[in-house]
Amino acid sequence: MKISGLAVIGFSAFGTYGTLQKKEPTLIIMEKAEGLVIGDPTLCIGCMRCELACTEFNDGKASPSLSRIKVSRNMNFGPKGVFAGQLRQGNWGNGLITQDLCLQCPHPVPCANACPNDAIVVRPPLYARVVDPEKCGGCRMCLRSCPWEMISFDEEANKATKCFLCNGKPKCVEACPAGALRYITWTDLMDRVPLRLVPTAVIPPEKSALCIACHKNIKEFQE
Amino acid sequence: MSGKGGWAGKVLRVNLSTGKISTEPTVDRFKDFLGGTGIGYKVIWDEVPPETKPFDAANKIIFGVGPLAGTGAPCNGRTAITSLWPTCWPVPLVASGHMGGHFAAQLKYAGYDAIIIEGQADSPVWLSISDSEVKIKDARHLWGEGIRRATIAISQEMGPEASVAAIGQAGENLVPMSVIINSYSHSAGGLGAVMGSKKLKAIGVRGSRSIAIAGPKDEWEKAVKLHLSLLGANNQHVVPSSPQPWAEYYSRGSRWVASRGRKWGAAAPPIETGTCDPHDPNRIAFRTNNAAYFLGEMAWKYTVRGNSCFGCPISCHTLIKVPSVSAKYGISEIGQNTCSGLTFGKSFFKTFPDGNQGEISIEACMVGMSLADDLGIWCNYGQLQRDFKKLYYDGILKEKLEKTEFESYSWNIYEAGNPVFLFELLPRIAAKDGELASVLGLGTGYMLEQWGIEEEEWKKNLDLRYWKMGHPKHHANEDAGQCGAIMNTQYNRDVQCHSHTNFIRNGLPLDIQKRLAKEIWGSADAIDAVAAYTPMNIYKAKMAKWSLLRKELHDSLSLCNWMGPVAASPLKERGYRGDDSLESLLYSLATGDKKGRVELDQVAERIFLLHRALTIREMGQRQIRTLHDTMPEWVFVDPLGKPPFTPGTIHMDKEDIRKGLDMFYQELDWDCSSGLPKRDAYKKVGLSDVAAELAKKGLLP
Repeated sequence: MKISGLAVIGFSAFGTYGTLQKKEPTLIIMEKAEGLVIGDPTLCIGCMRCELACTEFNDGKASPSLSRIKVSRNMNFGPKGVFAGQLRQGNWGNGLITQDLCLQCPHPVPCANACPNDAIVVRPPLYARVVDPEKCGGCRMCLRSCPWEMISFDEEANKATKCFLCNGKPKCVEACPAGALRYITWTDLMDRVPLRLVPTAVIPPEKSALCIACHKNIKEFQE
Repeated sequence: MSGKGGWAGKVLRVNLSTGKISTEPTVDRFKDFLGGTGIGYKVIWDEVPPETKPFDAANKIIFGVGPLAGTGAPCNGRTAITSLWPTCWPVPLVASGHMGGHFAAQLKYAGYDAIIIEGQADSPVWLSISDSEVKIKDARHLWGEGIRRATIAISQEMGPEASVAAIGQAGENLVPMSVIINSYSHSAGGLGAVMGSKKLKAIGVRGSRSIAIAGPKDEWEKAVKLHLSLLGANNQHVVPSSPQPWAEYYSRGSRWVASRGRKWGAAAPPIETGTCDPHDPNRIAFRTNNAAYFLGEMAWKYTVRGNSCFGCPISCHTLIKVPSVSAKYGISEIGQNTCSGLTFGKSFFKTFPDGNQGEISIEACMVGMSLADDLGIWCNYGQLQRDFKKLYYDGILKEKLEKTEFESYSWNIYEAGNPVFLFELLPRIAAKDGELASVLGLGTGYMLEQWGIEEEEWKKNLDLRYWKMGHPKHHANEDAGQCGAIMNTQYNRDVQCHSHTNFIRNGLPLDIQKRLAKEIWGSADAIDAVAAYTPMNIYKAKMAKWSLLRKELHDSLSLCNWMGPVAASPLKERGYRGDDSLESLLYSLATGDKKGRVELDQVAERIFLLHRALTIREMGQRQIRTLHDTMPEWVFVDPLGKPPFTPGTIHMDKEDIRKGLDMFYQELDWDCSSGLPKRDAYKKVGLSDVAAELAKKGLLP
């Protein structure tokens, strides 16, 4: 694979990329995250202490709608919701409660690509994909870009937010009374976790141009 | 003064007669009553005339939650529903039902600390609350449906996160023995018919807002983790039920039932509950399995998992999967509940073909849950079933019922212990179909009156566990001697208090319990070993007062009184001490209104006293001690003739109890001869206005 050659560009570069040159370099995230949180639905008891720990201990307020781990929405009827009929999960179905968690997607990172302000960035040492509140303009394009609906929106702050792995000690994992959550070394789950919706966000033209240019180059390179 | 955190900030008022929907600020009027039952009693005192009857349009029903509902304070899922109580006999008085589940949290996230429902709708309606969007909606299509179908229909409109508190056919048909249920299995007894009288089928609530924590977030995190570290299993039992490698003690009666080899057997694949070291916060959920505790060892193999109320790591509602019932009875193979909700169906029967903890008894539980939690029938803490068995086996039913009606029931099936009988009986109770069903649905007091049976008959009978005014004992002298007995005199339904039994039954050896008791109530003599009671002393009165105040405190803050107060802990290194200032710590940090343990207990006393004042005003009587604060005769009789205070008997001595009530009244500054609180008792907690109104009616001592 020759992609590793491009990875060094990551994060800061493209600035000198010929006709695509801009004042602010466009952000394309290439680094992989160090870890991610996964959940086991057979263990979840539906107490929501994970959502509470996420928002109370990080934001100083109890707010499941703001939580970066999402369980409430699956608790009653499961991921397919109340219209799933006989296929219902959750407390009103087969009893399984699914924990929805950020996959810390590998490149191309859908939420980061959709952000017109490049507000979704990676930070060492964990390289979690995080929202930089200084840059976030509150447009909510990232909410429509994540196929797993994992971006939250803080209505009071008018900013998006997402799982940032709590500096490697996720509060949700610590809070689970049934050990249903684990913090593990990052692995690519993009093809393994069912999507919740078809993304409708538009990727800003300068980014899509970059994608095309770059991926075309890779193809040519590989050929 | 605060308003910075904890409370959502508004109380929602909905008048179903006029359709008017309005809000009022919580803190201005209700801060001194915290929330929950505190708001409920205050609204009834201020707004509901004493002569009102439960099903009158003038009666109000208040869904109250507290400043800790919806926060990370452990076990905060409780909604207190207060109204005039239909099964309270001979005169309906104020009382509250309490439900767990997720309703309380959703209400807070929608922005409300309480809902006051007043008036009566012309035709069936349901109330939709989605943040600030509140609508009274047509429910004609839901009327006649069970709780489950109504909930699903409403969730389809409001979204899957909504919490729906609904009544079933029993509530619609004004059966006094009816419930309100949210989150599948979480019920508040006794008030379904009050909603039914208002033609209010359900309240759906969905919130997307936040609840601010006023204090620094790191201090809040510390307080929450401290609370979690001191939790035991359900009912705050702090030692395991079998020897565990980490445990110094074990106690067979403990609800901490986890152990190696005991598995959530119906999980796929099965999950080992293991040793559950109390220092491991990620194993708390495995300690309790109330299906196994209440239904027997066989329930382990049917256990899918525990199910929680909001914010509760204990998960005392066990979710069980019994595949055979689906083919055999045509009901869902999955059921969930706790305690007497689990045993609802089983308790109607005297015997089963394969014994009292066999397969058929579990099937009876599944059928019972499937029917009762959909039709919305209340068991009155098992009194319904005890009454039924007594009436049938004593031949009273045969005597009272018309022959054709009596023979319309399949008594051979009933006597054989066949759960199919429940399909005959329970829908008829909900539909008031026939005399038997209608009379059972009235509740014990009115049932006895209707059939001309003396209440004294019931009060003599130890097995019936009937206490007074239509309701049974709830952790009385069988758990905590005089303390429990005295507490059971205070409410207008079963007492619904666990503060005392959580301590007495926590499983620690008596000498450790006595050491802790001395620290909390001032003397080791506050407690005895169960059924090895000693004569009354002032410390037992102090414990009774503390227990009741903490019950009201919990019902007002929205903490679960089944899991507190945390008077003991499983931690050896703390000398098994708990921390009975956790409530004030969490309250102060959440709201920003700094109050210590003593100060917050004084608020609880205000709430408890307002309940007392309401009872006195509604009764309109001066002799509360003899007319209200009574005990049944069985408390004073030992079946084997053992004298009081000998090991092995739970029965009490009349003269000793008389002294006990005196001491209890004195602790609260109430008049001993009448049981009326003195003017100073009201004044001390800021209820001088309440005292003034009672004085006008001649209801001060």
